[in-house]
Amino acid sequence: MAYVATRGGERAIEQSERLYRAELGRIDAARVTAVRQTLPMLIDRVMGEASLYEPDLAALALAQSGGDLYEAVLLLRAWRTTQPRLGIAEPVEQEQLVTHRRISAAFKDIPGGQILGPSLDYSHRLLATGVLQGHPFEPRPVEPAATPAPARQPSLAAWQKAQGLVADPPRAEVAPDDIPDLTREPLLFPAARAHTLQSLARADTGGMLALGYSAMRGYGNAHPTVNELRLAEAELRVRHPRGTVFSAGRVKVSQAEVMAKGKSGLLELGFCATLGWNEVKVISGATLDLNAPGAAKGSPVEEEFFLYHTEPVEASGFCIHFKLPHYVTFQSSLDALRGARGAAAPIPEQAPEPEEVTA
Amino acid sequence: MTIATLTKPWQAFSYGFLDASAKRELRRKMLKAIAVPGCQMPYASREVPMARGWGTGGLQVTLTLLKPSSVVKVIDQGADDSVNAASIRSFLSKVSGAAETWDTLAATLIQSRHRIPEERLRADQVLVLQVPNPEPLRPVEPNMSVARQMHADADYGRLWLILYEQIVRSGRIMQGASYPALVNGRHVMTPSPIPRWDLPKLHMAQHLTFLSAGREKRLYAVPPFTRVEPLVFSDVPYKVEDHAALTCHRSGVAGYFMNEIPQDGGGSVFELSDSHLGIKAIRRRDGEDVALGATWYENGKMPR
Repeated sequence: MAYVATRGGERAIEQSERLYRAELGRIDAARVTAVRQTLPMLIDRVMGEASLYEPDLAALALAQSGGDLYEAVLLLRAWRTTQPRLGIAEPVEQEQLVTHRRISAAFKDIPGGQILGPSLDYSHRLLATGVLQGHPFEPRPVEPAATPAPARQPSLAAWQKAQGLVADPPRAEVAPDDIPDLTREPLLFPAARAHTLQSLARADTGGMLALGYSAMRGYGNAHPTVNELRLAEAELRVRHPRGTVFSAGRVKVSQAEVMAKGKSGLLELGFCATLGWNEVKVISGATLDLNAPGAAKGSPVEEEFFLYHTEPVEASGFCIHFKLPHYVTFQSSLDALRGARGAAAPIPEQAPEPEEVTA
Repeated sequence: MTIATLTKPWQAFSYGFLDASAKRELRRKMLKAIAVPGCQMPYASREVPMARGWGTGGLQVTLTLLKPSSVVKVIDQGADDSVNAASIRSFLSKVSGAAETWDTLAATLIQSRHRIPEERLRADQVLVLQVPNPEPLRPVEPNMSVARQMHADADYGRLWLILYEQIVRSGRIMQGASYPALVNGRHVMTPSPIPRWDLPKLHMAQHLTFLSAGREKRLYAVPPFTRVEPLVFSDVPYKVEDHAALTCHRSGVAGYFMNEIPQDGGGSVFELSDSHLGIKAIRRRDGEDVALGATWYENGKMPR
């Protein structure tokens, strides 16, 4: 039985996992609550990439993975995919969003006004080292404006369409049950518009930034102008079996529209939205969307290229799979390499050797 | 009658982990795959509690085929106790109640990464191969949309061209594992990164083989008694790895695919890649009554 004794994979993997979890220690409800309360931006990012809006579960996944984002997203996705699809919410128009932040770089002022909302954009990025010396960082209280901005804001693109500046493609009326669902169907190309937007919504933030940034730097055709960026809450309106439409709560959403002058002489828009507040992701995603039409095959702004390569679960999984043993494939390559080294000259004219196998 | 009599108690997970809608889609795609041998069928490919690239495609097919009476064997690079194989096997038995085995002869369902067992598979067994990259055209056409069109047109000229270029440059075909093969005279498939040694085992085999790529969301099949022909030139025959004359230093068995183990001070020893065949051979040598199945290769050769 010496053959077996040198191996012993089952014990090794068990102990390896214990070693990892020993570092994280005991995970209880208090830790999950602390993660949820202290890291809302991270929770948002994970919920977007997991395409599952559940802050408690996202916090649990982060606690359980010790903050490894790809592990956290995989935990949530693997849980999510086993859950039944209970209903399909009513579509949400931009004008219906409860808007916290809404800015446009295209105009100094826009109908409804620029609303800065919560942002670190203009903060001085000074590390609050005092906290470590015993001086807690107390945020200063917000002083509300004399008149609050209206919660609901018009769409800038709607104004541009009315002015004839932006193309207004015909609307396709699709029954709710017929909306293609990326979580239940494979992504095929050319992709359905719904699949493209769903895929962007659940894409890896870092990956999307890398490819979006390459387009912004000049590997794309179009230079983006942020037409409208929104952080908002969307009402989740669902239909009761008896027909009544009711609100089941709100989810935080971000969306970006970027634009550039198109060949048609009109402005063209790129769009991206995701669950949770994640500005870098939606601006990058909208930039890729803007650049996608007519992009060369294999360029980073081609839809197939960026949608395949920003899928967080697939990309991270394939990357770490290279840790698995590959000695059989390597042996096969080694055999070809040694065979070629042994061969003095090209041998296409040689007769078949008797000991070779033909299928 | 109450609502309670009409519903089932809540369960955290379905039998075999995947929910019914996922299994239904997979079964449809698996049937289609059998109907068009070697043709890649796109499927949704649900997330499973394992990272992509670690056998999630094979896992989904296996989970769909599993039943409580199944006997499941999982191998990675030929070994049953390789860490990932051990992990997948324990997951499969945990979610299905299926029995586990290391013995090819005892298994009804075999999930494998990069090897086909040396013992011949029977008509009542199903082989599920994990596939990292399902697209044989990837080396010549990385764009999936274009490659799909090329399959539709049976446009495989560029695959022949790279094989020809290898002969011109290196004097022989340099393709290692994943040797492309024409299935049923129509679709070229990649047999997953099995060594060239294993490819002839798929030709006119008694068993059904599924090949499934979870990350790439494609599955395809080689049904029983289907032609699987490696792409070769009529004057340059298919060459398997030169392992026929190697002897396993543990079991003393020769004539099968081997792992090379580098030794201190240069040189190598070899051991059977099919680890459980090696264990059985050692047991038999030591006097135990162990059944070894008929193997595809006999004395290092594949009978025609």
